[in-house]
Amino acid sequence: MLPYLKQAVKNLFSKPSTEAFPAGDPPKAAEGYRGRISYDPNKCLNCGMCLRVCAPQCMERTIEKLENGDQKITFSFDMTSCTFCAMCADFCTTKAIKLTDDYMIVGTKPEDFIVSASFVKKAPPPKPQFTPEQIAAMKAKAEAAKKAKEAAAAAAAAAAKEG
Amino acid sequence: MFEKMIDDSMSKSPWIFHINAGSCNGCDIELVSVLTPRYDAERLGFRLTGTPRQADIVVVSGPITVQTRDRLVRTLAQVPDPKCVVSLGSCPCSGNVFKGSYAIDGPLEKWTHVDVSVGGCTPKPEAIIAALAKATEILKEKRKEMRK
Repeated sequence: MLPYLKQAVKNLFSKPSTEAFPAGDPPKAAEGYRGRISYDPNKCLNCGMCLRVCAPQCMERTIEKLENGDQKITFSFDMTSCTFCAMCADFCTTKAIKLTDDYMIVGTKPEDFIVSASFVKKAPPPKPQFTPEQIAAMKAKAEAAKKAKEAAAAAAAAAAKEG
Repeated sequence: MFEKMIDDSMSKSPWIFHINAGSCNGCDIELVSVLTPRYDAERLGFRLTGTPRQADIVVVSGPITVQTRDRLVRTLAQVPDPKCVVSLGSCPCSGNVFKGSYAIDGPLEKWTHVDVSVGGCTPKPEAIIAALAKATEILKEKRKEMRK
């Protein structure tokens, strides 16, 4: 009887265990909570591992060709489709995808749930164009360098034999 | 005069009807936990009701399976206007991992207008409370518009 009474008296003076949430700020999520995805396009390599491991296929990649040959790559993550398993974050080699502790995924429009970012992938530099004469000159130069190297090696071998 | 009084009192006590449209029970448990003393949505007037005819807010969880589809549509038709539909979790919005299955006939938007959606698998009770609070606001506006 006494422990119950003790608890009852204690409860009289303690704070209520009900969260005051709609009145105040939402409480912080537990450590390691997997909430809304954050995506850093500057770290992304566009390897596409996240697309492969995503079970509900919540992410979409669009590759848009720009005029100068570059590619604009956009990743968008649909938070109403995600299971928050964090497989994408585990497989991301550069840690571009992270799961934050933001759990307030509430909205009235589909746009409220899309996490999207894009980056520009530079095209490789154009191959240098040479005329046939230039190519012939370069070949001759390379041949001469090879011959000089062989002669030097032969001289060194002869010197070693004598010595 | 009485109309305004009734509207005011009804907006302070929106009753929830919960439809499980093939949910895995995760979201259902979280919705019930919203009504427990820890989160206590009943202090804000929310109350689970057993019949759609008394409901103001309809909470749908689960991807819409072929088996539950007809029942869902029939139940939604029984809810009096103004009503507010809340989709709970990732499943009703997109189908989640069941996307593309032959047993799924979603998303929920295909069958009814969804007012508020909550993402998460499952959403935290705080997120559900926030969604219900938003639904109450929408409901108030809808009621006002209906009285015009």
